[in-house]
Amino acid sequence: MTDSPFQWRAGGCHCGGVRFEVAVPDRVEAQSCNCSMCAKTGFVHVIVPESRFRVTKGIDRLAEYTFNTRVAKHLFCSECGVKSFYRPRSNPDGWSVNARCLDSVEGLEIVIEAFDGQNWEANGASLAHLSKEPA
Amino acid sequence: MTLLKGQCHCGAVRASIEGVAAGELPYRACQCGFCRRHGAATTSHPGATIVFAADEGALTRYRFGQKLSNFLVCATCGSYVGSLADTDAGPIAILNVRGLDLPGFEGRTPEPMTYDGETPEARTERRKARWSPARTTALHASA
Repeated sequence: MTDSPFQWRAGGCHCGGVRFEVAVPDRVEAQSCNCSMCAKTGFVHVIVPESRFRVTKGIDRLAEYTFNTRVAKHLFCSECGVKSFYRPRSNPDGWSVNARCLDSVEGLEIVIEAFDGQNWEANGASLAHLSKEPA
Repeated sequence: MTLLKGQCHCGAVRASIEGVAAGELPYRACQCGFCRRHGAATTSHPGATIVFAADEGALTRYRFGQKLSNFLVCATCGSYVGSLADTDAGPIAILNVRGLDLPGFEGRTPEPMTYDGETPEARTERRKARWSPARTTALHASA
């Protein structure tokens, strides 16, 4: 798989109960969202298709929180509360990983762009392509 | 009188800080692994009083490292709302401004803080000098 533009990187919550891996390129775009939910955690969204994400530990330790349309599945560790990843409303076929929860960002350039989640209806669709699997 | 009030995302946990004007309150971003993952930015002042209001079972109390303090997380929505420590001078606390969406800090950048290498004694003394006297109450009156 040396031709793959992606590298698997590991991360997790604070207590170590929840662990994940995500495949990202060396330069990845991420979104910082200003909605009521994301503002509380400073979540830095790295959105990927299903095939580029896997939970490696602690799926039974995840608590789920939903609100409003209840499409997004906000997942957090029931021990330490950290939200390492979740199913976003913009990309219910993929995952949004919190860049703050990666073990290491060495060799990884994270380009953070602002996302206006306070006006979600007008902007949500602009992210949909990020979770599409390659043809 | 100065009173700042906030709540977690789902509203099961509320908190307030009273007695010091918002502009006089410190605004800190601890760089530890817990605070970074929660995106926390906190405040406290020894001259202000902090109150947490939550019903039985609404708060998860998480301890790590030196285990001198309980980090309070809403059991329903996962918001990190603040930290509470017992000392010989009584309970003291900080609030997570972001997790509670506490008003009065708009436009401010939290000051990065690193507390690595502190002994447990030094940590407790620092907290007693900077954190706020605190108490917890029920959110709803019991029947």
